[in-house]
Amino acid sequence: MEELKSQILAFLEGVSKEKPRVIAEKIGAKKRDVDKACSELAKEGKIEYLYIGTSFVTLAGKDHTPGVIREE
Amino acid sequence: MTEAKKTPLLDELEKGPWPSFVKEIKRAAANSPSAQDLLGQLELSYVDKKAHWKHGGLVGVMGYGGGVIGRYSDVPEQFPNVEHFHTVRINQPSGWFYTTKALRQVCDVWEKYGSGLTNLHGSTGDLVLLGTKTEHIQTIFDEISNFEEHPMDLGGSGSNLRTPSCCAGPARCEFALIDTLDICHDLTNEFQDYLHRPMWPYKSKIKISGCPNDCVASIARSDFSIQGTWRDDIKIDQEAVRAYVAEGFDIEGLVISKCPTKCMSFDGNELTIDNANCTRCMHCINKMCKALRPGDDRGATILVGGKAPILQGAMMGWVIVPFMKLEPGSGYQELKDFLEDCWAWWDEHGKTRERIGELILRLDMRNFLRGIGREPIPQMVVAPRANPFFFWWPEEVEQD
Ligand code: HEM
Ligand code: HEM
Ligand code: SF4
Ligand code: SF4
Repeated sequence: MEELKSQILAFLEGVSKEKPRVIAEKIGAKKRDVDKACSELAKEGKIEYLYIGTSFVTLAGKDHTPGVIREE
Repeated sequence: MTEAKKTPLLDELEKGPWPSFVKEIKRAAANSPSAQDLLGQLELSYVDKKAHWKHGGLVGVMGYGGGVIGRYSDVPEQFPNVEHFHTVRINQPSGWFYTTKALRQVCDVWEKYGSGLTNLHGSTGDLVLLGTKTEHIQTIFDEISNFEEHPMDLGGSGSNLRTPSCCAGPARCEFALIDTLDICHDLTNEFQDYLHRPMWPYKSKIKISGCPNDCVASIARSDFSIQGTWRDDIKIDQEAVRAYVAEGFDIEGLVISKCPTKCMSFDGNELTIDNANCTRCMHCINKMCKALRPGDDRGATILVGGKAPILQGAMMGWVIVPFMKLEPGSGYQELKDFLEDCWAWWDEHGKTRERIGELILRLDMRNFLRGIGREPIPQMVVAPRANPFFFWWPEEVEQD
């Protein structure tokens, strides 16, 4: 689980935001495990959930306030 | 405080016999700068014929991905007090029963950190607090979840389980056939993680009605509609039927002819119901509740796939489980397993922003049924078939 968690964090370094399903695909992990890992990371304050039309996860502290940064 | 702006277009909405949200916002504006700017920005929207809200943004509390809906003004220079105007959803108690103390606690918090405007209850069922700034959200959550009496939790938003909601059920209603309040509370606790951490293609809703009258409109407003029903015969008190008729009650016009399956008849003395053909719509029981009562073998019908129009048009749920026993104290394991199976199938195959009902339409009922391990039954038919072809699974075709 710890290893999966650091894989997820490393993946999120490179993107603005992503859905857990895509993260699971990209890092070759089971979606269920990614969900669980994200849940723990969120409780630890390392990632945050973001809602723009649908939900994404993002590294904690990345500012997605509309108008502040441009979404790619 | 910003000087009160003139709002001639909004003022029009105060005229006429109806209660007006404009009047209420003006009342709040007397003490709340953000309510005042809300009026100003709304007036501007009417002038420009466009909404001045931006969507989204990152607003949440530690560990949660639901419960707060971000809104930012796109004209903050004109209306600085609504630059942020986020909505907080609070998980309502089953059946919306509060003590006055609980409500006062919420209102005190909202007076301190919010616009003072509330909406009891929002479309999901939650207690909705309208308009606060990003920096207050964590504090609001910490305070409401630490109330000495009646601590509260955030509700759902985003691509997660939305706050389950139910009708008042056995607490107030003679028709309740299941304990809606207990089921709602139990499911909320069981699936708390799905409520707070969005991980699915899109939202998913559960609504529970105690009987087919469906007072929370679960069939149209939720992906999972749980409706109390019975499976034995309707109980008939023939004396009471005759008493209705003797009082001039139009049994033919109001009941017999309105039965959707035409399974009732009255020979002037005895009322007969062909229970095998009764769809348990409740109509006759509603009309003659002194003479007719539901049966004693009670449980629920589970429908899947209801939703409002976003991708596809508005849809009502399909009957997937015609009858499931739901006894208080049982843990509702069969129901929970069923929900988990449906979510797992949807999560695996659903596209982003595709509700489970839309996925069933796209991939077909037979794929859904195979995915959740259920057999097709006549109750699942939404409309008579128009297509003359039926495709069997290859292994089901016996060839000689
Ligand atoms: C690859 C080519 C074609 C395929 C796959 C195809 C398939 C079909 C199918 C499945 C139906 C039945 C629809 C239904 O009743 O549910 C149909 C009806 C029909 N097709 Fe085709 N068809 C093809 C080409 C053609 C051509 C070239 C013609 C005429 C020259 C034609 C004339 C008709 C007619 C008259 C009907 C009946 C329409 C009606 O019932 O009102 N089809 N076709
Ligand atoms: C093995 C050969 C054929 C098969 C399997 C076949 C199959 C079908 C099917 C499934 C239908 C739709 C029936 C329905 O409405 O439920 C149909 C209708 C029709 N077929 Fe054929 N067909 C064949 C040969 C032909 C030929 C050779 C012709 C004409 C030269 C033809 C003309 C039509 C027409 C005009 C209809 C429409 C009838 C109507 O809807 O009133 N079919 N056919
Ligand atoms: S749905 Fe049925 S049980 Fe629930 S409040 Fe309405 S009539 Fe009563
Ligand atoms: S419950 Fe509905 S379907 Fe059944 S007998 Fe009464 S009116 Fe007919």
